[in-house]
Amino acid sequence: MKSLKLAGFFALSVLSTVTMNTGAQAGDVVWWAPNWGEERARTLAQKYMAANPGTNIKIEVTVANGLPERVLTALRSGAAPDIIEVQHGWVNGYAQGDLIVPLDDTIQDKEDYVKAAIDYVSWNGKIWAMPYRIETHGVIYNKDHFKEAGLDPEKPPKTWDDLIAAAKALTKSGRYGFGITGGGEVGNTIFRSLPFIWMNGGDIISPDMKKAVLNSPEAVKAVEFYTNFYKQGLAPKSTLENDGLALRRLFIASTVSAYQSGQFDLPAIQKENPNIKLGAMMIPAPAGKKTAAVLGGWSYVIPKSAKNPVESKKFLQFLNTTENQGYYTDTFPARTSSIKLPRFDDSMLKPFAEMLPYGRPVPVHKNWVKIVQAYFDGIQRILLGDQSVQKSMDEANEEIQALLN
Amino acid sequence: MKSNTGLVFALPALIVLFMLIAYPVFYTGWLSVTNDQGQFTGLQNFSAVLRPRVTTQALWNTLWWVAGSIFFQVLLGVTAAILLNQNFMGRALVRSIALIPWVIPGIVAATTWAWMFHTEFGIINYMLTSTGALDEPVGWLTRSNTVMPAMIAINVWKLFPFVAIMVLAGLQTIPQELYEAARMDGASYWEEVRHVMLPQIRPVITAVTLLLVIWALNAITIIYAITRGGPANRTVITPIQIFRLAFENVEFNQAAALSVMFFAVVMLIVLAYIKAFASQPGEVQ
Repeated sequence: MKSLKLAGFFALSVLSTVTMNTGAQAGDVVWWAPNWGEERARTLAQKYMAANPGTNIKIEVTVANGLPERVLTALRSGAAPDIIEVQHGWVNGYAQGDLIVPLDDTIQDKEDYVKAAIDYVSWNGKIWAMPYRIETHGVIYNKDHFKEAGLDPEKPPKTWDDLIAAAKALTKSGRYGFGITGGGEVGNTIFRSLPFIWMNGGDIISPDMKKAVLNSPEAVKAVEFYTNFYKQGLAPKSTLENDGLALRRLFIASTVSAYQSGQFDLPAIQKENPNIKLGAMMIPAPAGKKTAAVLGGWSYVIPKSAKNPVESKKFLQFLNTTENQGYYTDTFPARTSSIKLPRFDDSMLKPFAEMLPYGRPVPVHKNWVKIVQAYFDGIQRILLGDQSVQKSMDEANEEIQALLN
Repeated sequence: MKSNTGLVFALPALIVLFMLIAYPVFYTGWLSVTNDQGQFTGLQNFSAVLRPRVTTQALWNTLWWVAGSIFFQVLLGVTAAILLNQNFMGRALVRSIALIPWVIPGIVAATTWAWMFHTEFGIINYMLTSTGALDEPVGWLTRSNTVMPAMIAINVWKLFPFVAIMVLAGLQTIPQELYEAARMDGASYWEEVRHVMLPQIRPVITAVTLLLVIWALNAITIIYAITRGGPANRTVITPIQIFRLAFENVEFNQAAALSVMFFAVVMLIVLAYIKAFASQPGEVQ
């Protein structure tokens, strides 16, 4: 009997917490903001509330770990907050699942936004999210290592051939010229190798998503270019167990002289090893061709079950003025007018900013996770020396084709 | 009347048991023959999950993983138990220390070992190269012929203390007279081990091995935390494939189909094992 009472008490307390969380007032806007922008989020919320008395912005801080599952659960439960910050790549799935509302009526100055970002969050002729933060990889390099290898640190490589030549010159006495990833989470290697396939005119699947095209000559050549850094000893021996974080550690330890990453790595490197003279370059492309990168970043969505969509839309418009979007983003803003703000006028950031127009969204296919896993397995088979590039990509292509049917 | 009263008392426990065990088992079975809309699809999930190459590879990897782990766990465990059964100073301390690997949480052990095995930063390569045993670092976790043995080594390290402690308990129940009788007949130490200790602890070894087989068949922590089944599926075992299908690809129906097949295979192995080893009470003496 006692335990029954206890159980009842627990049930009640759980219920009351639930009601407390969702029991928002008429003027409340509940905003799920990630922890890295918490301070700036609070500042913006204060500003808005000062200008709009009667509206109460409630910030609930989220963390990156497990966020996709948490958001999906909230959206499906029907008791979602009013505004959620999500990665661009997740938006399409929510839109197709009828979990969020279109924001065509909310977005101002659509032409001011980087087109790839808008494309990323568009589906069925509508815009389903407001992108506010965009980023791509560039190449981070060690200027002193360049000097020691007899290379001009102010004139980094521009073409694939230049990059190979530079990596060869940099690789000596326990140093590796160009670090690539071949381990960790699949995404690490997708972000770093897929751009090379794109810039060479190839892709993993055709634009209509009906045909796997990974074994085309263009793609195979690019995969060969990527994996050769390891095969020729220009990337660390640990490549098959390295993800982006491991590369950063190796760069900080001066074992790797250059590697692909985003600008978010720069502060961490400077903090841990202030002696490194940092350089950044655009990702080199094949001679005569344009560079490419995977576009990443964050958007705001309004769930279908939001309690206060009208006020939320108004608040989103406030968050996405040129000024505020430029203030809030961690990396780059999605509005071209915001990028002109003094905050982004930094020579270290220039190559990353120049990469933005070449950023592309990854395809949205229901089997995408399996598709990239098949591709990643293929890359690992090459790195392990199991198969030639062509044979491995043929095999991966066949697996991917089966996932498209 | 009396038996009914018993049932009434047992009923709450039975209901809980049903909800926690029987329902998930049957639900998995149901999931394996339906699609994500809940429509019956027959054996479609089974054929879909058997098609990719990785399924066969995972099965072979699982066999290697289980066989390798069990063999060394039992061998090392029994040896350690026999040694710890001797009389020496500080025996209690050594016995406690030997248990440490088993007590450490799996994820902590796995992450630590991943760092120790790392090609660039790992202490194992550091020690081997600085003493001159190796000329250059070896990619333990990235070479196709070393990665599975490395995983097995970690699993052996993690669980052999458990075998040792169980066997040690068994050894301590052996009556002193048996040793005395053996010595009277002029048995050497080795003969004591072979003819007194091993036959006496056989039931313990049988039970422990069965547990080890079941644990190894379900083990996911060590491999998933270190290699995620890579490189190129070299260390994918079937439980990891099931986990990937369900939680990375959100294909619960295919994952259920693979679980059902895996369950059948495991049951066959366990039944064969019990029939072969566990039911020969007459032979122990």
